[in-house]
Amino acid sequence: MTDATPALIAAVLAVPLGAALLVWLMPSPRAADRLNLIASILTAALALALAVVGLAAAPGVAARGSWFVLDAAGGVFLALIAVVGFASAAMSPFYLRHAGRSWFTARRSHAWYYAAFNLFWVALLALPLAGNLALAWLLIEATTAASALLVAFSGKRSALEAGWKYVVLTTLGLAVALLGIVVLFVAAGPDGSGLGRLDWRALSLHAGLPEQATLVAFMLILVGLASKIGWAPVHNWLPDAHSEAPPPVSAMLSAALLPTVLLIAWRTKLALEPALGQSAVQELFIGFGLVSLAVAIPFLWRSLPWKRLLAYSSLEHMGILALGIGFGTPLAIAGVVVHVAGHGVAKALGFYTAIPLARQDPGTAERAPRGLARASAPTATAMSVSLFSLSGLPPSPLFVSEVMILLGGMDAGLIAVSSVAAVLFALGFLGLAHALLEGLMGERRGPRLRPSRSARAIGVLSGAAVLALLALTVAAYVLPGSDIVAALTGSGT
Amino acid sequence: MSEAAIAVLVLLGFGVMLVRRRSLATLLVAAQAMLLGAAALSLAGDRPTAFSVAAIILLTRAVALPMLLVFTRRRTPEPYLVTPATTVVVRLLVATVVALVAVAAIPPLGLGDPAAEHGSVALLCLGIAIVVMRRPALLQVLGILVAENGVYLLAISVPGGLPSLIELGVLFDLVLVVTVAAAFTHKIHAEVGTGDTDLLRGLRD
Repeated sequence: MTDATPALIAAVLAVPLGAALLVWLMPSPRAADRLNLIASILTAALALALAVVGLAAAPGVAARGSWFVLDAAGGVFLALIAVVGFASAAMSPFYLRHAGRSWFTARRSHAWYYAAFNLFWVALLALPLAGNLALAWLLIEATTAASALLVAFSGKRSALEAGWKYVVLTTLGLAVALLGIVVLFVAAGPDGSGLGRLDWRALSLHAGLPEQATLVAFMLILVGLASKIGWAPVHNWLPDAHSEAPPPVSAMLSAALLPTVLLIAWRTKLALEPALGQSAVQELFIGFGLVSLAVAIPFLWRSLPWKRLLAYSSLEHMGILALGIGFGTPLAIAGVVVHVAGHGVAKALGFYTAIPLARQDPGTAERAPRGLARASAPTATAMSVSLFSLSGLPPSPLFVSEVMILLGGMDAGLIAVSSVAAVLFALGFLGLAHALLEGLMGERRGPRLRPSRSARAIGVLSGAAVLALLALTVAAYVLPGSDIVAALTGSGT
Repeated sequence: MSEAAIAVLVLLGFGVMLVRRRSLATLLVAAQAMLLGAAALSLAGDRPTAFSVAAIILLTRAVALPMLLVFTRRRTPEPYLVTPATTVVVRLLVATVVALVAVAAIPPLGLGDPAAEHGSVALLCLGIAIVVMRRPALLQVLGILVAENGVYLLAISVPGGLPSLIELGVLFDLVLVVTVAAAFTHKIHAEVGTGDTDLLRGLRD
């Protein structure tokens, strides 16, 4: 730990908080765009620096304070949130320029959008740093308030429906999780003082957690968090919120929020595993994983509007991550790390593609895109990179990570579960590969799409995403056996 | 908290499930929060910090949030009461079954106070049932508050109480979420002409 780490943490959280206030005060939409872009560069740079500190300390802990912990897991997720947050901030002006009507007046819509965006971002950035289950819960609940306004930003009836479902269902889910936290607090007994009883480390080192109460608490917490992660069968808000939110916000929800809440479920698993034993917690994760995959796949086979298809793909990928965490072997955990990062890059790019797509071909909000290869080269490229990766075609890092998770499952002796998962992975692949072919080569009526600034921007972003995805594929080969994986299998918390 | 008081809390939750008027339902939730707040104050006893936190929570849950919802109701006038999706008998039956099954299914939570544990679980499940079965947006917000009151009942029953930071943090989040939900209620009313969430069913696959 360096002395500067707490100050760096404070800066990472202070910049977007300050930006939320300042941007809200901006007199014009253009000024708000500029200020937000500058603040997002600064936030992302600071968060990436912090992520490097966390990763460099693996398998140990870089810093630990009264409310925070910076470890390798935190480093991985901080980097992901920083990159996706910055890309979403950079793509937001392209969305806002042609957004049309919104919840707010035209003159104030950018200010409100960026204020809520930064509040959402700061809560997300704080989440991987939370050293305590109760604090993590508070931050997750805070993300709901900020992001719900963004989901319903367009003010359309369908967006209001999506935002309403999101607020109500996730709040109820988190109430269930809170009940579990109170039960766990009681179960932890007088060991540790006050809030410290729920520290990740205090929980994992607790020698006398009563098994039954701890199991009830764990189940309540996991079921509650599942509603926010979007695991089936408590996923009803997910397809609606992802498809109705502005594309940069959908990217934040899918690529950053869902996996980061999953990290909290993962940390809870690691903390309570010594008291509960491996099999009880493993079965719950694997159960959520298989059900989520099974529910998502029929939708991946259907002809859905672009963002709705990506939303169901999020359900599928959260299921894959649940399986990897459930298997829990070092190989599976290495696969989870690669999958979180690869999914984040590919999914965010997919949602950003919806910006030029909506501008060039507004009908794709209601139907699946077709024949883009002949209509718009940059948009077709971005769609190809995103779906190619998400479907798990080699050399996508998601191909490598899925293989690692399956092999990790076999390593754990779960041959039957791994076999079922392999079949589900293959079915998911076929669904997305079909969507990719139809999207690129399907029959299309109408003229070539007009070039736009957002299409050019998505072209540039596609190039960066390809480089990042290839780098992740290479990283996947060196990750197993590394200190980072050692930290993520439990010794780091 | 006495068993009688817990029974009253649960009955108030049943009331929110049954009544049609949003104003009356808001009053029932405020009464529930008042009862819980009074119990928290009495349990805090001579611990000044715990007493202050309990007082803040009482004022927020029993006064400020209900006032916000009253204000929201006034801004979203309904020309006629929203027709319930089910009859009062069906709602009463569902609420009773949900509460009883939840209480029977959940094993002891380790507090050593079965009445508080059962009351807490019953209220949480009643809150969820209210959200599922009631159509007006404002009644769904009240369902969330009933569920949160269930969790608060368990929290104040913890020997020595929860740390103040958690209690105040949860309160802050609750205020945020209810404020956002109230804003949604107003916006839905402006868009649809009523707070009936049954009319928001356009998103289907």
